[in-house]
Amino acid sequence: MIERSTRRQFIDRTCRLAGFVTLGGAAGLLARRASASAVYQVDPLKCTSCDLCRTSCVLSLSAVKAVNDFAKCGYCMLCPAYMDVTSMPDEKGVPAGRVCPQDALKRRVVGTVDPDDPNNNYYEYVIDEARCDGCGKCVKACLPPAGNGSLRLEIRYDRCVECNECAIQTACPDQAIVRVDVPGLSPKGHDVTHG
Amino acid sequence: MGEIRAARVVPLLRRFGPLLVVVAMFLSSVLVAQYQKAPPDFGGSYSFPTPTHPEPRGTWVRALDVAMLAAGLGIGAWLVLKRRSRNGVLLLSVASVAYFGFYRKGCTCPIGAIQNVTATLVDPSYTISFGVIAFFFLPLAATLLFGRVFCGGVCPLGAVQDLVLVKPVKVPVGLDRVLQWLPYVYLGFAVLFAGWGLHVLVGGWPIDVGRRFIICEWDPFVALFRVSGAFHMLAIGGGFILAGMFVGRPYCRWLCPYGGILALLSRVAWKNVRITPDKEVDCGLCADACPFGAIKDLRADRGHCLACARCYDSCPYEIERRGGPSAEVQIARLVRP
Repeated sequence: MIERSTRRQFIDRTCRLAGFVTLGGAAGLLARRASASAVYQVDPLKCTSCDLCRTSCVLSLSAVKAVNDFAKCGYCMLCPAYMDVTSMPDEKGVPAGRVCPQDALKRRVVGTVDPDDPNNNYYEYVIDEARCDGCGKCVKACLPPAGNGSLRLEIRYDRCVECNECAIQTACPDQAIVRVDVPGLSPKGHDVTHG
Repeated sequence: MGEIRAARVVPLLRRFGPLLVVVAMFLSSVLVAQYQKAPPDFGGSYSFPTPTHPEPRGTWVRALDVAMLAAGLGIGAWLVLKRRSRNGVLLLSVASVAYFGFYRKGCTCPIGAIQNVTATLVDPSYTISFGVIAFFFLPLAATLLFGRVFCGGVCPLGAVQDLVLVKPVKVPVGLDRVLQWLPYVYLGFAVLFAGWGLHVLVGGWPIDVGRRFIICEWDPFVALFRVSGAFHMLAIGGGFILAGMFVGRPYCRWLCPYGGILALLSRVAWKNVRITPDKEVDCGLCADACPFGAIKDLRADRGHCLACARCYDSCPYEIERRGGPSAEVQIARLVRP
């Protein structure tokens, strides 16, 4: 009885030791290729605003939002990302249709206001993050030559839950969801978050 | 005459047509571009807004997740093996559902980390983070030391099922034994899909599925933690919660691939839940109390014990140890009709 119990203990101990050695070895092997703070981000040079960011995020309201880079924005009256330029004009001659299906792109007139000629005014375009669902319609519409290309899609880290695997990355047809080591920089070094 | 004119125009169009298209495009872009203005000077009152960029969670917040996991494992081991306290495990379960479940929304999780580890080993270009490595290996090491304390009250998926378990029914031993193989089947598929995807021909029909993380895609509880997700996932989650009210932890016992790995490691653990560490009366109350059928011949099944400490709560000697009536009195009460 005593002998059997010690043999059992010996096998247990050997297996446990082998387990620890295997775990330690595997962890060491993986750690050599690990990165401390890799996060997901959209590479604007690869992104084609295909609408999959809106539909494939694990969150009902996607963690991807449109962001306006005000330094690039033209503050145009006739903003192709704000209004559907192919729609019928209203009584003031401004196209009545809107690009954003969520009504998340808001504008307000800034500077000295000319009440008679809307064309003579400047407008500031701000994204309402509570409404934006990351469909990218405005981003597509703002692309040059129609717009200045000041809008782009960005993963917002206040919403991103950092899944083991990004569901958008899996779905993205352009491999535009990249892992970045330094937040704000894409792997190739161009600035992702600041224009 | 008309025919001749047409014959002249067509080759001209063919030659200069593309050029015309380009010119037209250029003109139209010029027409639109007239509304583009460089960011103007609006005077002193206007300042350009700076786009906000929420920072990713800082390194110390990521480290906090790992620290919470390590602390949870340590506290769990202490509560189960040292204190033998069911109430303590219950509190730990609530805390882990709150933190890992609702606050961290189920990510990062050791179960899903199986796939990250597989992907890293198969694909050299795949990036894994230190946090995921820690989440994968810490519970494995803890299991080699103390048994499945991770399952007991640290894993939010296990904890949420444990908290809803109100009236456990006994599952036939034979059925239980067959279903216990499912985690390994699931593990095999998860590794296959995470590393390679599936590319086969079935009777001439090509099945072509790229690499994907099926454990995460089909995780029944994360949609509940996020209160957001596809309808079918919320429905599956609700189904598991409903089933979990009457069957002890269906996901942990018969599906969880990480639980499958832990069951193997737990067999050779340094310390395990023991029935009963001090004295015993062979009353079998512990086996009745175990909702997971993990007490066989009045001994804890080292592989399948989920370290919930319910057995200790039912044991007359444990109740006596905590200042209750003596074990003899309790048993006499039970025996008396």
